[in-house]
Amino acid sequence: MEEKLTREEVLHVAELARIKITEEEIERYQVQLKQLLNDVEKINDVKGYDDEILIASWYAPTTLREDTSKEMLNPKEVVENAPRHSGNYIEVPVVISEEA
Amino acid sequence: MRYLDKSIEELHELLKSKTIKPIDLVEEAFARIEENKDLNAYITLNKEEALKQAKELEDKEVDNVLFGIPIAVKDNIITKGLRTTCASHMLDNFTPIYDATIVEKLKEKNMIIIGKTNMDEFAMGSSSRTSYFGAPKNPWNNEKISGGSSGGSATTIASRDVPLALGSDTGGSIRQPASYCGIVGMKPTYGRISRYGLVAFASSLDQIGPMTRNVYENALLLNAIVGKDEKDLTSANKPVEDFTRLIGQDIKGMKIAVPNYFMSDIVEDNIRIQIEETIKMLKDKGAVVDYVDVKYLENAVTLYQIIAMGEASSNLARFDGIRYGHSKENPENIEDLYYGTRQEGFGNEVKRRIMVGSYLLSGENAKTYYNKALSIRDDMKKEFTKVFENYDLIIGPTTTTTAYNLTDSMDDPRKTFMDDVLVIPVNMAGLPGLNVPVGFDKEHMPIGLHIIGNSFEEAKIYQLANFIEKELNLNLEVRGENND
Repeated sequence: MEEKLTREEVLHVAELARIKITEEEIERYQVQLKQLLNDVEKINDVKGYDDEILIASWYAPTTLREDTSKEMLNPKEVVENAPRHSGNYIEVPVVISEEA
Repeated sequence: MRYLDKSIEELHELLKSKTIKPIDLVEEAFARIEENKDLNAYITLNKEEALKQAKELEDKEVDNVLFGIPIAVKDNIITKGLRTTCASHMLDNFTPIYDATIVEKLKEKNMIIIGKTNMDEFAMGSSSRTSYFGAPKNPWNNEKISGGSSGGSATTIASRDVPLALGSDTGGSIRQPASYCGIVGMKPTYGRISRYGLVAFASSLDQIGPMTRNVYENALLLNAIVGKDEKDLTSANKPVEDFTRLIGQDIKGMKIAVPNYFMSDIVEDNIRIQIEETIKMLKDKGAVVDYVDVKYLENAVTLYQIIAMGEASSNLARFDGIRYGHSKENPENIEDLYYGTRQEGFGNEVKRRIMVGSYLLSGENAKTYYNKALSIRDDMKKEFTKVFENYDLIIGPTTTTTAYNLTDSMDDPRKTFMDDVLVIPVNMAGLPGLNVPVGFDKEHMPIGLHIIGNSFEEAKIYQLANFIEKELNLNLEVRGENND
């Protein structure tokens, strides 16, 4: 039989990822996510390496910039790129409402 | 006469002597793209702006070899005022308000951006079939994939629409499609090129690179796009060098290593035989070629799955429906806006990777998986360093198979990772790697050789690649004689 995640496990990872998924997707991901997770388990079979880690292969020496102000992005253009905006503001749904 | 069949240097002379104008090249490029439009290489064309720019260049001095040359740019590199989609519904209405540093560099050289090329959604895939805009087709056989994720760039170069293109490579996404399409593709050393304005997939692996018809022009384009950028702290401050400088030099005495794993039974026979023939030719010409063992190569895909999916889940958290891109209509509340926007905006492959990545980085899992992967990655890099103490370059096949059918199943999520099994180790170690065509299979689909160099030694890779290209002298024109 094909190995599967449970429905709850799929819904849990979808929540971690902030993605809404449909019933049909839940079924598909039960199989597909399990296949990928089985793959990454193979890391536990690797032996012989030391504890040092490599975050990025190239470490640029830390350089600091002059602390001066300069023209960056145009705020008007930035706001206008937002799907919902009004004047100088980006609109979002209510985050904290008076009714609790 | 098709001007764009000429070399960059010939075009440069013609432009300089005013025999031709930039607009001649631009018009020809758009005519070719129109002829080849079934290949679906582009997501967005930059026609109006490119023609306008070409006209403006007529009054300017032809001051560098890339002046007025048309170039295609992968659609995950942002371009001010020109739609940049990452082949995703999430960004199909997104017009950037600034240029990537690399795009500024193209503009400084007065190169002309022709359009934005098709790709896998957010560069996640190995066949460009995860594109929201449909897959590009391989010019050698329209029923085959172009590879991915830079499949559109590989397609437009192989079909000779334009001479130059940019791709990006996180786990083989320049070299693998270059191999499938019979072109030259270089992933430079991590840090060589600024990533500012490259839409991030896996930040510790991503690198932009040139995709071209031949080795020399690849080096010419690399010359123009490298350099430290204060907007990307991972970009390297290296002295200016000419990447063409070793091209033409003999390879007698050059020491080349072939990892046994690269020639193991994971590679199809016809490819292995072709690579063995190339190795024999190199030995005959005086190179020293040895087979070596390199530890951890067989673990590279596992490391890649953990690191790339983990970093992707973090990078793609920015797509929230608030600041730019797709946004769910009439959301009930802020949660519904996040969840719904991401449900509607992302395709299947991207969702899968974000979900697995989020899981791998959550709580204690970060230690169990991500940190462990970084440890093994460090050892893999050290293994490569050991090889380069004794050898100039490492070679092997770029891919385990030639390009497969567009209709092949996409159900197994592991397949797309295995397509890149031979190219992923290079990203893990941040090394430069290049694909150069070395032959064709029985169906006349291209076979590529992968040349890997030590960090910041791209010039040596070009030396060997150019030598092989000249020796083999393959006909890489899709429409050329004997290719019908």
